[in-house]
Amino acid sequence: MMRRLRCTPRTQAALGLALCALLAWPALRQALEASMWRHMVLQFPLLMGAGALLAAALPSHARSAVARWNAHGIVGLVGVAVVLGVLMVPRALDLALRDAVAEAAKCAALVLAGAALRLSWRAAGLVVQGFFLGNMLPMTAVVGQLYIDAPLRLCNAYLLDDQARLGQWLIALAALLALAWLAQVGWWMARREGASTSLAPDYP
Amino acid sequence: MLRTAVLGLLLALCGYAAAGWLTHGFQVWTDEGARRLEVALQPVEAPRVAVDGPGVAAPDLPALLAQGGSVTIADFIYTRCQSVCLSLGSSFQQLQAALRADRAVGQGANVRLLSISFDGAHDHPAALRAYAQGLQADPALWRFVRVPDAGQQQALLRRLGVVVVPDGRGDYEHNAALLVFDARGRMVRVFDVAEQQLALDYARHLARSAP
Repeated sequence: MMRRLRCTPRTQAALGLALCALLAWPALRQALEASMWRHMVLQFPLLMGAGALLAAALPSHARSAVARWNAHGIVGLVGVAVVLGVLMVPRALDLALRDAVAEAAKCAALVLAGAALRLSWRAAGLVVQGFFLGNMLPMTAVVGQLYIDAPLRLCNAYLLDDQARLGQWLIALAALLALAWLAQVGWWMARREGASTSLAPDYP
Repeated sequence: MLRTAVLGLLLALCGYAAAGWLTHGFQVWTDEGARRLEVALQPVEAPRVAVDGPGVAAPDLPALLAQGGSVTIADFIYTRCQSVCLSLGSSFQQLQAALRADRAVGQGANVRLLSISFDGAHDHPAALRAYAQGLQADPALWRFVRVPDAGQQQALLRRLGVVVVPDGRGDYEHNAALLVFDARGRMVRVFDVAEQQLALDYARHLARSAP
């Protein structure tokens, strides 16, 4: 998403498709969903990654059509926030385990969210990106702290220590993403100061 | 920009609707909460699964629940349990004491207790009998059964929303609760283990108001 991938759009889309198929493979799906932290911290980002790779296959005219409805990437980022926000409700995890329709909806939503993130991220610019992360990352960290502190199991299908470990992962993930974004912003600003000719932000 | 605003707003509304659906109108956040709410709104029929246990003569679970036209407070156990079931055991002992006291003063409500094992492969009637004796269960008030058929046991757990997870140390973690069945064999309420008095009062009320 944020990285510039070298491979061609076609290879990326094929990789995304392969990743989707792999994640839908029952044995791997069960292995990932057997633990609460793997379910949320591994399976969720992998599905989003598959969506981001698939988005490469979008032809340029479709991409510009999407962009007309997605000024500054706002619609895409709102969509990502909605998907991640809803999936942080503990019931969503239990429901995905015992209901095939809920599971399919969850996976589809995450793949779409990954694609939306990729199609929106650059258009968003620093301000919208900062607003998005400034909402999502604290939410993730607060949910993580709740999972650590909760004395009861929030999901029937998972154990209490698994829940606490997920909480630690969520906080770590939020902190790491915040640091990565700040480092990237710092790098852009340093580069812009270096190239003093241009006033407009010129990030990739 | 207008298109973006409209579409963004629409997406946010969709998210709100999805979250509202998932949480039953922002009332519950966990699947256990949703299960308890759904049971209270829509009673769940006990499935026809064969049961056996010490001193139990009923072909299947609905027949057992209908015996004597009594209201039943049920829980799920396994006899090897060293954690939650022990506290469930003691709360059932207190319930039994309360029901006996009711009878002693001649105000006995037609309420009985039932412990169902979810470890049918291990909890043979003999094991259940020993477990019941360890808890000083009164066979007239408090019965113990298992579902001998593994497939039927799964169906029962699924229907009643009981989720059992092996904890990796040879024990099981499960969403322990007090399930109240009416005389027609329908699960009408699910109470938390801590809401023992509430479950008892509700069962007494149900038994007295039943025709």
